[in-house]
Amino acid sequence: MSISAANPLEKFRHEALLYSGWAEFIAGTVPFIRDGVQAGEPVLVVESIDKIEMLRVALGHHADDVLFADMAEVGSNPARIIPAWHDFVSRHRSSGRRMRGIGEPIWKGRTADELIECQRHESLLNVAFGHGEPWWLLCPYDTEKLDSSVIDEARRSHEYVVEGSEVRKSEEFRGLQQSGAPFDVPLPDRATSVGEMKFGPGDLASLRSLVSRHAHAIGLDAGRAEELMTAVNEVATNSVRHGGGGGELRIWQEHAAIVVEVRDGGRFSNPLADRQRPAAIPGAPRGLWLANQLCDLVQIRNFADGTVIRLHMRRQPQRRLSIVPDDPADSSLT
Amino acid sequence: MGVAEGCGDFWTGEGFGIDDLIDAAIKGGRIYADKQLVVTRTLEPYGLCFSGEIDITNSDAVPRSLSLAFVRDGNMHLDVSGLIFCDISGIRSFVDAAEAMDGGRLLLHGLPVLLQKVMKVTGWSDMEGLVICHCGAVGR
Repeated sequence: MSISAANPLEKFRHEALLYSGWAEFIAGTVPFIRDGVQAGEPVLVVESIDKIEMLRVALGHHADDVLFADMAEVGSNPARIIPAWHDFVSRHRSSGRRMRGIGEPIWKGRTADELIECQRHESLLNVAFGHGEPWWLLCPYDTEKLDSSVIDEARRSHEYVVEGSEVRKSEEFRGLQQSGAPFDVPLPDRATSVGEMKFGPGDLASLRSLVSRHAHAIGLDAGRAEELMTAVNEVATNSVRHGGGGGELRIWQEHAAIVVEVRDGGRFSNPLADRQRPAAIPGAPRGLWLANQLCDLVQIRNFADGTVIRLHMRRQPQRRLSIVPDDPADSSLT
Repeated sequence: MGVAEGCGDFWTGEGFGIDDLIDAAIKGGRIYADKQLVVTRTLEPYGLCFSGEIDITNSDAVPRSLSLAFVRDGNMHLDVSGLIFCDISGIRSFVDAAEAMDGGRLLLHGLPVLLQKVMKVTGWSDMEGLVICHCGAVGR
């Protein structure tokens, strides 16, 4: 079955495009985009800058009707990608037309921690959109540059796999329910702590002071140190409120980043808790959402005996996209 | 948190000692103080000034202080330029107060840059009735 001959969608369609080299990338993406544009469908492509430039050339005048965004910015923290897709879908929902997207969150050069969070993101896409509008998301995977284990995982996180001109259902797809199962993949061993404390309700000021001191010592500038401290405070506040009244905090350095780990006795039931834009009502939870907006990476694990959350902040920021634009009219995702 | 019985316009939080109480009384204007936060009345503009840190240990002081604030022309002015830290529970208290305003607005003066960002990404910066004011006025 060719891509363009796919039947009308009745639900979210999540496909992995396995490609090797530029020619296969172009062959797998350009017809998909062009078919969408010709059908009057909103199309958003979230790719690297070089691929966006290449697609613009290959698409010719059709590129004028395509929305583009830089994945290096949108997906620097992979937990910010689902909200970006949510924005796209919700803004075009009223058009009544099917929507299409291309997103390549995994590339060679992702750190091991980023890679596993990207893979979690790919699974959570099924949960986030599996019961919603019918739209079509194509996720390219570079088989030449990525490890075979990454490709194997792509077959588990996508219901459909495209290889060359072949599109087939993935026999390895883990299904909708398992896609949102509690994430208990072990975290890598931590480095030697440079700071640690047990905390309860009355210790948050001391906790903030400890985080701030080490963030500055490791070399974060004042703004990023404040952002990390704010995020950690929210996670620790959740521990106090929902995790048994407190928890344990550890701080260490990894390469050019500071990592803060918070452990408590609580459990998360909502796998999308950290990547759902807060509801307009004042009481809606916002702590984990905020942590993902402020930090470079947030890792959440649900274990039988509680929850572990690691917050990463690099000494130097990567390019980042404000998911909430200054002016919604300026959004690249509208 | 300790609350002075029968005291309608001043109370103190845990960790705030008797010397601090006396100091607050003779300096006047303070309507709340604990080891992290001091809330003071301001005249220009009419309203309150929050200085220090707000987290889950004292965020309930925000609505209690606001209940004592002056309201002029339906608007309530808060000088928050001295807030060193404010968590989501604190911001939520300001948001709740803004929602409860009967046709008036809650104006936040001097909101630190980080808190502006927090309010923006959490979806609270576009609330009707809550104004992040850049007019340069802070409480005196």
